[in-house]
Amino acid sequence: MDEILKQQQELLGLDCSKYMVKFANQDKADQVLNCQSTLKVLSPEDGKADIVKAAQNFCQLVAQQQKTYTDLDVNVLDNLLSSTNGFPDPDLVLKFGPVDSTLGFLPWHIRLTEIVSLPSHLNISYEDFFSALHHYAACEQRWGK
Amino acid sequence: MSWIREGELTIIERFCANIIKAGPMPKHVAFIMDGNRRYAQKCHVERQQGHSQGFEKLAQTLRWCLNLGIREVTVYAFSIENFKRSKEEVDGLMDLARQKFSRLLEEQESLKKHGVCIRVLGDLPLLPLDIQELIAQAVLATRNYNKCFLNVCFAYTSRHEISSAVREMAWGVEQGLLEPSDVSESLLDKCLYTNNSPDPDLLIRTSGEVRLSDFLLWQTSHSCLVFQSVLWPEYSFWNLCEAILRFQMNYSALQKARDTYMEERRRQEVERDQDYVTKKLQQEGFASHGDSRRRRTLLQKCTAMREERIQGFLQALEHKRADFFERLCPVSA
Repeated sequence: MDEILKQQQELLGLDCSKYMVKFANQDKADQVLNCQSTLKVLSPEDGKADIVKAAQNFCQLVAQQQKTYTDLDVNVLDNLLSSTNGFPDPDLVLKFGPVDSTLGFLPWHIRLTEIVSLPSHLNISYEDFFSALHHYAACEQRWGK
Repeated sequence: MSWIREGELTIIERFCANIIKAGPMPKHVAFIMDGNRRYAQKCHVERQQGHSQGFEKLAQTLRWCLNLGIREVTVYAFSIENFKRSKEEVDGLMDLARQKFSRLLEEQESLKKHGVCIRVLGDLPLLPLDIQELIAQAVLATRNYNKCFLNVCFAYTSRHEISSAVREMAWGVEQGLLEPSDVSESLLDKCLYTNNSPDPDLLIRTSGEVRLSDFLLWQTSHSCLVFQSVLWPEYSFWNLCEAILRFQMNYSALQKARDTYMEERRRQEVERDQDYVTKKLQQEGFASHGDSRRRRTLLQKCTAMREERIQGFLQALEHKRADFFERLCPVSA
């Protein structure tokens, strides 16, 4: 809210007192004010290599007879992945550039992720960004059903 | 043959095919055949009809692929998540599978003539026993054919497949066939259900959805992804050509990305081997940076031993898998 008010002053100057900033949904006011964004920067080694590392760690436990191979299922493997520990699976991937591929990006985590392509991250406009979010909002996830 | 439509391309289609074939062609194409139910709704017919039409379209698409020289196709027929659908729909899909696999088994001559190798990939024990038996018969009957390959993902999700591959490696360790340090990306590749296939060059999803829905997540990391809005039962030869053109436009960039990735993977595996040797030398009381000849010899020895272990493990794994199918067909096809 503070940032919004600051920007308002910068952009509108003397006119800023003419315009009131209000939240569209008053109930969500607290949520928005306290919303903290987390930025995680990933690299190719967070993809397949991380799955392999988890596999090696599990096999090490098996070798030490602390686990048996039947202990490993989808949930166990999911919890063993370290690069995205505690981080939810991406709901939306914004892919920039002309290449039609995920190029190894988090193969495990993107099983249900919507993949929206945009031509470039350079000089990306708010409209393009918004339309990608709009596309995501319009998607109908059936979850297999 | 019911699974692959008979027939040749029309003159116009052949003309286009020849133009496209002048450029690089995908050797392995994967399809997420989405849109059967929306098609049924659109045409005011039962869902089951939509799925039937979907199968017919598969047969037609396989014919087009063969005409274009695309010899390997993988399709997403039924996801483990699809078990969540209504009992009526799931039973309908199982009946369709029964019908189609039974029909397939009646067409052995045709399969032999066309050299079609059928593989069914998934967590097969989740399926009704009679379907498992039909599948086993189809897989065993065609396992030595090699003119073209059809991989049907049935009771499949990618996460289950990857977990299964890791479980197999853990089984290998438990059996004393592998050491934990043998676990690598290339070994995991060989433990997936798709271990006999190269990665898909092109993944096509119809009906406009832009997600992978837990399909071949590992194998398509560097594939060309094409999302098309056409509903699957309405897929046309031109839609297929369009997807192949997109593949061609992406070809050099993806080739380069794949090569860079493989180089980095190889470098990391070499580094892993070096670390292994260093540790071994330390264990044996030698200075880790000492005699470079001793290092080299040990590296060669360790690599050879690792190779031997891996071969032994992969043979045991193949045996285990063949055994699963053979036990479902007491009388070999």
